[in-house]
Amino acid sequence: MDNYPVLIVVTPLLAALFAGLAAWIEERLSYPIALIGLAISTFSAFKVLMRVIASGTIQYRMAGWAPPIGIEYRIDLLNAMVLMLVSSVAFLNLIASYKSVEQETNDRAASFYTVYLLFVVGLLGVTATGDLFNLYVLIEITSLTSYAMVALGDRDRAPLASLNYIFIGVIGASFYLLGVGYLYMQTGSLNMADVSRILQSHQGSSIVLTAFILCMIGLWIKMAFFPLHVWLPNAYSYSPVAFSRVVAPLMTKVMIYIMIRLMITVFGYDYIFKTLHLSSAVVWLATIAILAGAIMALAQKNLKKMLTYIIICEIGYMVGGAWMGNQLGMTGAILHILNDALMTFAMFLAVGNIVYKIKDVDLSNLTGLFGKMPWTMAGLVLAAFSIIGVPPTCGFFSKWYLILAAFEKGAYQFAAALIISSLICAVLFFRVFEICFFNTDSKDHEHGNGHPQIKIEEAPVSMLIISGLVSLSLIVVGLFSGTIVNTIILPFLK
Amino acid sequence: MKFLGFIVVCLTGALLLYGTGQFPAWGDPGSPASTHLSNYYIEKTVEQTQVPNIVTAVLADYRGFDTMFETSVIFCAGLTCFLLLRDFTEKKERFYRHRPTGVILHVKDSEKVLKVGKEFEHIDKDFVPSDLIIKTVCRILIPFIQIYALYVVAHGDFSPGGGFQGGVIFGSSLILLAISYDLKTLVERIKEKVLGIFAAVGVLIYVGIATICMPMGGNFLNYGMLAPLLPGDPRHVRALGMLGVEIGVGLAVMAVMAIIYINIVSEGRHDEGL
Repeated sequence: MDNYPVLIVVTPLLAALFAGLAAWIEERLSYPIALIGLAISTFSAFKVLMRVIASGTIQYRMAGWAPPIGIEYRIDLLNAMVLMLVSSVAFLNLIASYKSVEQETNDRAASFYTVYLLFVVGLLGVTATGDLFNLYVLIEITSLTSYAMVALGDRDRAPLASLNYIFIGVIGASFYLLGVGYLYMQTGSLNMADVSRILQSHQGSSIVLTAFILCMIGLWIKMAFFPLHVWLPNAYSYSPVAFSRVVAPLMTKVMIYIMIRLMITVFGYDYIFKTLHLSSAVVWLATIAILAGAIMALAQKNLKKMLTYIIICEIGYMVGGAWMGNQLGMTGAILHILNDALMTFAMFLAVGNIVYKIKDVDLSNLTGLFGKMPWTMAGLVLAAFSIIGVPPTCGFFSKWYLILAAFEKGAYQFAAALIISSLICAVLFFRVFEICFFNTDSKDHEHGNGHPQIKIEEAPVSMLIISGLVSLSLIVVGLFSGTIVNTIILPFLK
Repeated sequence: MKFLGFIVVCLTGALLLYGTGQFPAWGDPGSPASTHLSNYYIEKTVEQTQVPNIVTAVLADYRGFDTMFETSVIFCAGLTCFLLLRDFTEKKERFYRHRPTGVILHVKDSEKVLKVGKEFEHIDKDFVPSDLIIKTVCRILIPFIQIYALYVVAHGDFSPGGGFQGGVIFGSSLILLAISYDLKTLVERIKEKVLGIFAAVGVLIYVGIATICMPMGGNFLNYGMLAPLLPGDPRHVRALGMLGVEIGVGLAVMAVMAIIYINIVSEGRHDEGL
């Protein structure tokens, strides 16, 4: 019997417990334990992805009970891709984080790694599971750990940001739980495939409609879809760097994945687009979310804050694509999960390097960075190009699919919002580049006689290598978008 | 803004009422929730697991994977309390009480280590002379509470109870000790390190039992595969597996209860409070 599907989730959990023990016995052991746990998890995710591509969906029965009786892991192409993404991002970030954890939370590093691993366990479990309630339990783990991590950040402002995050996050999770309760009322089952089969004969039921609305609103709160986004900017920008680098690319994207999973696997296309006709309303909401996110990003003076508003804007892309109701839109949304996670990760890695050197990333503090940190800035430029959507980078391709989908459906306002927000991103990032490149410190002018000597002060090598690798992967993934769409996304949607 | 909130609340209430409209009647034996899976559990549980308490069987075996993560949530809660609240800095002031006379010394500078004899005791800032009745009653009660907690853990397979309940009861006996005497008494008896290790070991017992099933040739959590390792009738192996994980849950819950209490009342200093 092949146990890779469960190993993806269980090895980080075991590693978390051993790291927790190590915190009391020999604190230095916790980092290598965490590293090994995530390495095995990433390897298992890779094995599962290859298996799924070669021979289709894997079903894994927990405790050996058949699906509606027990819990199953059902890993198809979409899961396998997201699992691979989550485990590898978490693993790479852990390598890059050693130095920043040392700098920021040195006195409780072992507990930090334990909580970090539990957070990753939650994300992986949410992605792998085929059971509605199991999904809720793991959302609980991710949320709880992320509240703790956020509160650990900036000493003055992080606890308040975390408190806001707790209030809103708990409301979101309970909405989802309530929705699952309503579904259970109608079907008597918690297994996604089983629920979906039973729902076929209850399309007009008011219980199912309520369950659907509750689940979607719960997830929209959790993914920070525009009017429900207020918790995100503060929570993400005040958390410790090592954590914000993993939460910003993964958390919201995994929530988008759950939304797509519920739409496709549980409720079904026919129910959402033929029975309810909600498509155009949500696409309008997504349009507003994109524009609002972009405009609010313009008003920010802090690099981290600006990026968090760009995340809100990107959420609009994915929700809009998924609700477009055609294959192109869904393709674009799924491809954008991968691309957006990678480019946000690259962006936050670069920002993390900057934070390591200069504590406060207010835009006015970034002067002369191209000279001081050339490698970091190269990574930042690549990530920025990808977010704007410059062709060889991956961001371009998913936006292209989304625009095509909008034209196919006739949702021109969505296409327009997408292009406008890309232009706003261009303005934002070129403003950053301008400050980093042309404005130099006034101190340098005093010393220099025309040619100020700029000393290179880069971040540690481990952080630079990861940052460089991920930034280059943006181009590689961009060049192979066609392959990804043809081997993973299109077979999944058929 | 308040008006907006009012509208949102009304809309949510209306949605919930609307959804309730088609609910099956209260206690309807024909409702999906009571016909789809419940019958299977009711008919097969004893035969398949040898556990007469169906709730425990569903919790720890059929849906044991959920319970494993619930236990991790508890562990996480304790860890979070430690991570955010624990404060290793020394306290500023110290108080000593001279036992024979009741005179209290207030040391304001914590840098100075005051060497005091046995006739002085280190007391809390808001010291209240301890009440003989409360102390005696609690001292008698605590062992019984703890034995009862062990019973609830061990007997979870047969009667209502299990690891969560037993762990909470055991944890509450520790909290009672801290309330009736003072926090120092508890912290001296159970060191912070022991609690931290117990919390992790408890969850580790659960995950470990589940993991051992894989090299034994079964799926994750498949207690049936543990038969060669355990003595006794192989048909009881699932029940024994459940007992094992319940013990793990109990241990973790007990430790986390104490960790949360100690950290919150002493604001992370572990010296005095409540």
